[in-house]
Amino acid sequence: MRIVIAEDNALLAQGLTALLEALGNEVLATTEDAESFVAAAVTHRPDVAVVDVRLPPSFTDEGIRAALRAREHVHGLPILVLSQYVEDTYARELLADGTGVGYLLKDRVARVDDFVDALHRVAAGGTALDPDVVRQLLATRGNPLSRLTEREREVLALMAQGYGNSEIADRLVVTERAVHKHVGNIFVKFDLPPEDSGDRRVLAVLTHLGAPQRRSRRPGPEAD
Amino acid sequence: MFVRALALVVLVPVLMYSAVLCLVGLGLLILPLELRLLRRLADGERDRLGRWAAASTPPAGPQARRRLMAVLSDPATGRDLRWAAVMTVAGTALGLIGAALFLFPAAVLVLVGLWWLFPADDPIRLILNVPIDSWGSAVYAGVPQFLLSVLLALVGPPLLARLAASVSRWLLAPSAAAVLAERVSTLDRTRTGAIDAHGNELRRIERDLHDGTQARLVSLAMQLGLAERTLSADPAAVGPLLTRAREGAEEAMAELRDVLRSVYPPILADRGLAGAVSAVVARCPVPATVELGELGQPGGPGGPRGLGDVPAQIEVAVYFAITEALTNVAKHAHAGSVSVTLARAGGTLRAEITDDGRGGAAEGGGTGLRGIRQRIEAVDGVLRVQSPPGGPTVITVECPCGS
Repeated sequence: MRIVIAEDNALLAQGLTALLEALGNEVLATTEDAESFVAAAVTHRPDVAVVDVRLPPSFTDEGIRAALRAREHVHGLPILVLSQYVEDTYARELLADGTGVGYLLKDRVARVDDFVDALHRVAAGGTALDPDVVRQLLATRGNPLSRLTEREREVLALMAQGYGNSEIADRLVVTERAVHKHVGNIFVKFDLPPEDSGDRRVLAVLTHLGAPQRRSRRPGPEAD
Repeated sequence: MFVRALALVVLVPVLMYSAVLCLVGLGLLILPLELRLLRRLADGERDRLGRWAAASTPPAGPQARRRLMAVLSDPATGRDLRWAAVMTVAGTALGLIGAALFLFPAAVLVLVGLWWLFPADDPIRLILNVPIDSWGSAVYAGVPQFLLSVLLALVGPPLLARLAASVSRWLLAPSAAAVLAERVSTLDRTRTGAIDAHGNELRRIERDLHDGTQARLVSLAMQLGLAERTLSADPAAVGPLLTRAREGAEEAMAELRDVLRSVYPPILADRGLAGAVSAVVARCPVPATVELGELGQPGGPGGPRGLGDVPAQIEVAVYFAITEALTNVAKHAHAGSVSVTLARAGGTLRAEITDDGRGGAAEGGGTGLRGIRQRIEAVDGVLRVQSPPGGPTVITVECPCGS
């Protein structure tokens, strides 16, 4: 794949470049701040961009905003955001912009196979969310979740990370038909219209769980 | 009020007598008891004055000590005694005048009605020195006099009561210097607490990094060294060693993240207090709303985070207080909704967390309220918890943050 990197820490930028090139990818540009990243994204039109959340000049959430800005210029540009810690607020902001986005802890890069897998999913227009983010998102509103079975919750967590039915089936060691049935049940329990395309359904579920100040229409039993 | 006045009239002579008894020793025992009783009376009066006056006089608090010298050395005791002595005389006098004024209209009515009982060559003259010697003069001179006396009865006693209250307040209230001294000693105490808290925090961070992260990195380096040596002898055995090393590195990262979060939550660094609090509120399992007032000028002295100049340690303390309070609401309150307000007024940052739960929140009992109090007091702030059984619970945090 052709990749652009935005990472101001030289040590991490070198490490990431070495890792990606060792896996047969082409790193077109390594940028150190939001401004030059957006420019490089427009110039190179990469298959996927890897962006650090904290970038100069403000060292706050510059990376998230740069990612969204770049996608304004290059519509649907796949972007994988990496961060030293995850914050569900950022995940919501990225997901609100549509699909082809990912948000992972930097730690996950060490699990090379998982990292590459996530990178490919984002490049293909899917989503990749860190399990920690998903945990935060699912913990946000306890009530609708209390109506799910243990198995349905496992399926939901994997679905939210961006996995498709076949991958979920592999991970949980069940048939794809069983996964399909669980997904159907989750949508019914959440009062959501059935969605089969992988990415739209992730958005539907996360929007449902993450919409602040909105309650499920059928309040579940109070979670203590 | 009347009970207090009566008690005072009784207590003052008793106090004088006991003071004389000190010469034979007996007074040493009973005087502190009497002074404690006097303090209760005086504080009752302070409380009353505080209730219906703009300038409040805070109660001095019950006399805690038992030894005579200790009781006498309390500056409020002197004020209690001064008040008791003056008010026994002045209060009684003012009270009598007030009562007389109150009864005046009735007296006028009776006297005017009974003018014919007075001898003709010395007719009754009331306020205006107009002789009343016939029913006619009783009407044209008596009616205005009666009205005047009613006016006096209506206006006089409240005025006198207000006069008595101001005398009382002047006698009971601590002087400006005493108030200032009290404030200084409070500041002294909180400052010592803040310095201690800061020291404990530094020690905790050092220990966490030393025992956790540093130890993990050392062990990681050892595992990598071992893998390096194994590579030439037994390449197949290197895989598991590397896997273990990577897992160790991941654990070190997770641990370091926790330490950093406890030092200064990254969301605060990224989005400032307002953004961080909004994120916490959005994550609360109980439906929560947030209202952010004026916190500072975006792009002002606080830079792009738009918080004016709230010091970092106050940001952290308030952020943790709100986080912890919301956790409490989710865990214990059985609330249907919770609202958070955060605003800055002049040099004070104020946060309020209100839930409609069952109330009865108490410190201790694993509610985390004590932890909040320690954090807030360490930055010289104030925490107030109002949580009657049946709710609602209101937790107020106020921190000084420079103006």
